[in-house]
Amino acid sequence: MQNNPSGNDPRTIWQSQPRGISTVTLEKMIRRRAQKLHRKAVWERLGSVAGPMGTVAFSALGIATGYSPVQLVVFAIAVAWSLGGAYVLNRGTWQGRLAEDAAFATGLEFCRREIERGIYFHRRFLLWVFAPIILAVGALVVPQLAIGFRAGGMLANSIPFLTLFALWVIGVFVIRSWKWRTMQREIDELNDIERENRI
Amino acid sequence: MSRSESISSPEANPDNRYKDAADQYGSALERLARAYEADAEKRRDLLQEIHFQLWRSFQRFDARCSIRTWVYRVAHNVAASHVIRERRTFSNLVSLEELERFPDKRASGADNRINLERLSALIQQLKPVDRQIMVSYLEDMDATAIGEITGLAPANVAMRVHRIKNILARRFHEGVDHAE
Repeated sequence: MQNNPSGNDPRTIWQSQPRGISTVTLEKMIRRRAQKLHRKAVWERLGSVAGPMGTVAFSALGIATGYSPVQLVVFAIAVAWSLGGAYVLNRGTWQGRLAEDAAFATGLEFCRREIERGIYFHRRFLLWVFAPIILAVGALVVPQLAIGFRAGGMLANSIPFLTLFALWVIGVFVIRSWKWRTMQREIDELNDIERENRI
Repeated sequence: MSRSESISSPEANPDNRYKDAADQYGSALERLARAYEADAEKRRDLLQEIHFQLWRSFQRFDARCSIRTWVYRVAHNVAASHVIRERRTFSNLVSLEELERFPDKRASGADNRINLERLSALIQQLKPVDRQIMVSYLEDMDATAIGEITGLAPANVAMRVHRIKNILARRFHEGVDHAE
């Protein structure tokens, strides 16, 4: 590509951009980053247990106020499942630091690994966070619905809650499945690039 | 011994190696961060992350590749990770092939700042691997060097660089006489 006499040459435009971080020394920047990374890790850890802990609290409330043995067993399963989820998610799948061998991986390998980590995390999220929430809410709602069907009036009272809950479930599924498809498509595209690479 | 030879020798102190690399590639890393993040605040964060990971990575540098390849690999990988994690729901990144088909609605301007914004916006639409190639091309790297960073075969890189040239020529050279 020939250099453009009007100064429109993209490489000249790109390389002549002004520097923005000249006043901050690199050592300071690294120290600050290390502190920030530590704080971020703590918050990520807390964030990753928020869903399971919410389910545990909800189920504990259900156990305290529950009346049928089946309901108590289901709540207990939801608690155990959520605690298992908190453990699995905290082993660090998606969140956390960059892979240790980032410098040894080429761009292609690294992108594939990051996307696969994302897929792994989304799969774990549905199994270990979303499913126990559904179970715990189901344990509360299903007996109420059964009573509502018999009593008539109570069913109408629970319609707003059930509608919101159904919308939330649908929303989670739509967003998650969209992300899932996007990541799967990206993996397919990386496969195509690798195939081209071998030809 | 030249400066780049001294910092790439396995015996060099990792901190010194990082400082020399940061001196040498600091501006390029800032430009790279711009290619991956449009928001100024997040861009500063990303740049810090790149420097931090680069500093950490030099503890494991074994001189199997050049310092430049090492620096760009770490930087691109940190930035790609940022793009993959930060992606907004229902937003789509495109490939070079798709970008080649898109018309550019904005007029070509002579103002350098506007052109830089247009160029940055163009790069930020790309998927990480294509973005790595585009940025490396803009940094005047050849197909072999880009191949070492991205893992693509030089012929594959050359084909993609050809596409990049077409895209850039269409968007930045409109109305100006030029020859390939």
